[in-house]
Amino acid sequence: MRPTSTATLTAPTATGDRARARTATPALVWLSWALAAAAAVQLATNPLYVTLVVAIAALVVQSHANRGPLGSAFPVLIVAGIAFAGIRLVLTAATTHGTGDVLFTAPEATLPRILGGFTVGGTVEAPVVARAAAEGWAIVGIIAAFAAFNAVVSHHELVQAAPRAFYELGLAVTVALAFVPSTIAAIAAVREADRARTGGHVVRRGRLMRQVVPVLESGMERAVSLAESMDSRGFGRRSTAGEAASGWLGLGALLLLGGCFVALVARARSTALVMALVGGAALVAAVVVSSRASTRTRYRPRRLSAREWVLAAVPWITPTMLAVIGGAAADTLRWPGDVLAVPAVALSPVIALAALAVTPLTARSA
Amino acid sequence: MITFEAVSFAYPTASGAESGSAVLRDVEVEVPAGEFLLVAGASGSGKSTLLRAVNGLVPHATGGRFSGTVTTFGRTTRDHPPRSLADVVGFVHQDPEAQFVVDHVEGDLAFVLENLGHGRDAMRRRVEEVLDALDIAHLRHRSPATLSGGERQRCAIAGALAAAPSALVLDEPTSQLDPQGAEDVLGAIARLNADLGTTIVLAEHRLDRAAPPADRAIRIVEGRIVDSGHAGHVLATYDGAPAVTRLGRLLGWMPPPLTVKEARRHAASQVDPPSATMLTAARASAPGDPLVTARGLRVELDARPVLHDVDVDVRAGEVVALLGRNGAGKTTLLRSLAGLQRADRGSITVAGRAAYVPQDPNSLLFAPTVRREIEHTLRLLGRSDPPAVDAWLTALHLEAVADRHPRSLSGGERQRVAIAAVAVGGAEVLLLDEPTRGMDAPSRTALQHAVERHAANGGAVVLATHDIELAARCATRAVVLGDGDVVAEGEARHVLTGSLFAPQVLRVLPPFLTVEEVAAALDRSRR
Amino acid sequence: MNLSLARPTAVYALVVAVGAGAFLYPFWLPREALPAEAHAGDAPLVAALVGALAVAAVALEVRRGTMNGATVALLGVLGASAGLLRLLDLPGGGSGMFFLVVLAGAAFGARFGLLLGLVAMATSAVVTGGIGPWLPFQMLALSWMGAGAGATGRLTRRLRPLPELTVLAAYAWVWGFVYGAIMNLWFWPFAIGEGDISWSPGIGLAETLHRYWSFYVLTSFGWDAAGALANAVLVVATGRAVLPALRRFASRLDPVVEVVEQPRREPAQNRV
Repeated sequence: MRPTSTATLTAPTATGDRARARTATPALVWLSWALAAAAAVQLATNPLYVTLVVAIAALVVQSHANRGPLGSAFPVLIVAGIAFAGIRLVLTAATTHGTGDVLFTAPEATLPRILGGFTVGGTVEAPVVARAAAEGWAIVGIIAAFAAFNAVVSHHELVQAAPRAFYELGLAVTVALAFVPSTIAAIAAVREADRARTGGHVVRRGRLMRQVVPVLESGMERAVSLAESMDSRGFGRRSTAGEAASGWLGLGALLLLGGCFVALVARARSTALVMALVGGAALVAAVVVSSRASTRTRYRPRRLSAREWVLAAVPWITPTMLAVIGGAAADTLRWPGDVLAVPAVALSPVIALAALAVTPLTARSA
Repeated sequence: MITFEAVSFAYPTASGAESGSAVLRDVEVEVPAGEFLLVAGASGSGKSTLLRAVNGLVPHATGGRFSGTVTTFGRTTRDHPPRSLADVVGFVHQDPEAQFVVDHVEGDLAFVLENLGHGRDAMRRRVEEVLDALDIAHLRHRSPATLSGGERQRCAIAGALAAAPSALVLDEPTSQLDPQGAEDVLGAIARLNADLGTTIVLAEHRLDRAAPPADRAIRIVEGRIVDSGHAGHVLATYDGAPAVTRLGRLLGWMPPPLTVKEARRHAASQVDPPSATMLTAARASAPGDPLVTARGLRVELDARPVLHDVDVDVRAGEVVALLGRNGAGKTTLLRSLAGLQRADRGSITVAGRAAYVPQDPNSLLFAPTVRREIEHTLRLLGRSDPPAVDAWLTALHLEAVADRHPRSLSGGERQRVAIAAVAVGGAEVLLLDEPTRGMDAPSRTALQHAVERHAANGGAVVLATHDIELAARCATRAVVLGDGDVVAEGEARHVLTGSLFAPQVLRVLPPFLTVEEVAAALDRSRR
Repeated sequence: MNLSLARPTAVYALVVAVGAGAFLYPFWLPREALPAEAHAGDAPLVAALVGALAVAAVALEVRRGTMNGATVALLGVLGASAGLLRLLDLPGGGSGMFFLVVLAGAAFGARFGLLLGLVAMATSAVVTGGIGPWLPFQMLALSWMGAGAGATGRLTRRLRPLPELTVLAAYAWVWGFVYGAIMNLWFWPFAIGEGDISWSPGIGLAETLHRYWSFYVLTSFGWDAAGALANAVLVVATGRAVLPALRRFASRLDPVVEVVEQPRREPAQNRV
């Protein structure tokens, strides 16, 4: 389902970007915003509310898009999301037949029993289409929130911000990102060398091998050289003191999560909730313990200032308020799918959603 | 102080390296603190292994069979893996594209300090100091991918130096760089040794620049140290020595000079200089038919003009040296002549075929043996011609390695394999782009012979190169490109004599271009 | 099994169990488990959260053991290639890079395969701008694919090249479907809201299975079949050269050092 992007990754960040990046809004703030926006969409699936969220996401991208290639990918991702929603619409409309005003009747086919035995096509009904469109639009809203996140955040910073417990993995991702441009260059060089070998045109037979193998082997040799550079610079020192403790905490967390599933099957919701929360807390504790056990120091630790903590917390006002409103049985949050009725809009949800706009409007951009 | 005691080492058998044969045999070296030691030797002689043994990469990172003891500033590499020696020894290798971990120069400099657990204030101070020591403060916020090769290597040195180690080990740091970058790097290294007293252990092929600042040189052959002492003496008998050193040996100058300045002093007091009147134009006289004719070439890359109005003529039997600074358009010109780059204006006529050998041989190599790599080109062209394969193997002195995996060979050998793999296709014109980058002396000699042979057989070779000595030895004509225009063009001797691209021998004993010419003149005068 | 191995084994097993449980929720989640106002579209997001926790747990556990520069650097280089391969994939999700993960896992072992699955998916998410709630399961699924390839590779190492590649190609083919099934299951409620082939909790296992099968046939069967076949073909086509090339570097991940004591000769005469 997840959308693809056709953005290419050749241009590295330019001079001076790093200096400015130090005062830019940290990735964690944007992550918090994206999660809060996604939660808000889930709670208020009324298409008009979702439109508001998408507009705020566009505002985020407009004012804070980073200079990397993904900065301009937002429209592409939205279009991909809409395409997905469209497919979903067709699927739902074609396979749901019931009551409701029939829009038109499509030719139908009933699949054989072995392939499911259901009917594709047939009556296409208005309320079904309307509901599917609304739900599809809600999915686009979630995609918009994360697409904005992708467009705005500096991925290097995101990886750097990861807890020390995941340092090695984060480093592998950093190295991978650093190698992407040189891999692209290597592929281009290999293709040209292949052409040069036979005097300007490429022989198709065996082309795959001739082009894949040199890229991989050169990459591996680079990796060995990089590994020597890393080992020589002290990489790999690790104490094992806190590791055992974090390991057991992690095990405990997983057991609790498994127990949560069991409790759900047994329909004991409160038990399940408790186990899930305790399990989550145990995992967080495991991460903290593992991070503390690391002997590495950080060169320029990116502590969030008070302002940034506030910016990260403000978007969560929206889902909280929406939950409260929903709990009070206000019914504008969800649209029942009555085609002839324009979705009703109440004031309080709009105010709640406006909280999402605070962060993009007040955050400093890169 | 770094000490090697009875050190022997063999790589593990399962890897791509030679199976199990000893790479270092009974090595004994002592490097006092503060010394600048130059390690000279052909590729495959064990230089790289020796250097990596200093900080424990050999054997801890490579595996293998190790005996003897290496002690680095009080710590033995047996008990200390490389990461425990990071605060006493820094290591820099030759690939500028594979030294950076973080995408940000300043962050990468701090990498070693973070690993060692230094406090934040100490880290800030050290980073500032090392930025100044290497003169790269203006690069601190850049991404390494945007830097030139020389800048990258200097940042890599800074990264190794950040923890204030007592020694710095550098394995051919300038081999992938252009002359300007190489000069910057070697100058920085010499300054570190002179100002900070850092012990330097340097392996290099580019001895004309690396030898003068060295206190001492050792020569390694097949894993054994065969000579040690003043760089001039050690290098005098070495093929890869700077031209002035070989000249000094030929003419009996003692101590053998390492720089043009020293050589001139000897030349000034030379009693009986070789006669220049005996200098015959030894190169091929009457050029043959035109093979490549280019007129008014104009090429734009990324909307920027790279070549403006370039005219080129290449005739059969010629070896044309294409000279010029980085970015002058040499590679673009070669690629245009090969048909890989479309020209925006102008015409190119090629009688026959022009085959291009790229700068990086690794883009071509994919077969499991050298012989199969060369045969494969013929297969792609739909031909089968075993004698041609053998002919090229012999021409480039590759018979000994014909059945080895190309990736287990040294850089110079790989370059030769790539040239053979392209040339076997039978193209009349060979376009070689920086063929001697990273090559040791035997490879360079083999290349020179192959180039001369191809020209003698009626073909032509165009060499884009920074290697003036190579151009002096085998080029018949030279073309100098400057910022997309042809700045000078004509007979090689003429162009090299009148320009900044003068070979060392020319600056010492004009009008001779190479040591071989001086030797030939001496021979003739003796007869 | 000694105690030091007991905990990691338990953790890996539980990660598989919890992760599988999380994306198999359509089959076992009863109606009463969800709050009253929740609708079908909420479950995938909650499952994604559980998936993220599982990824965190496995990332913590996998730190144990060698994490030298060679591991990180190899992960980085292969992750970069995988990330680029994903740019040519089908909308099914990530199938362009499966063959590389399978071959690298077979060459370097189960632990590396697991790590590579995580790193490759994370890198390709950054490269393609695809960070979102779908990411945790993509990472988990790819890491299981890599780990299994490592275990398979250990067994097939003794075989001759062609049989080994056939086994690995079959593995890649099967996993092409399994990966598709995992992601499909996860976003089933996202993909279709109501009707004969939609999911709703509490309709019973048989009916859920039936509906899922219908949904799968209608939507992804074609994609997944094509992707699985493509990957199997790529494994065979490139594996012949790629697998030995990768294996040559395996010694760097876990270098075997043999220190030989030699009797010290009397005074070091040739010390230079």
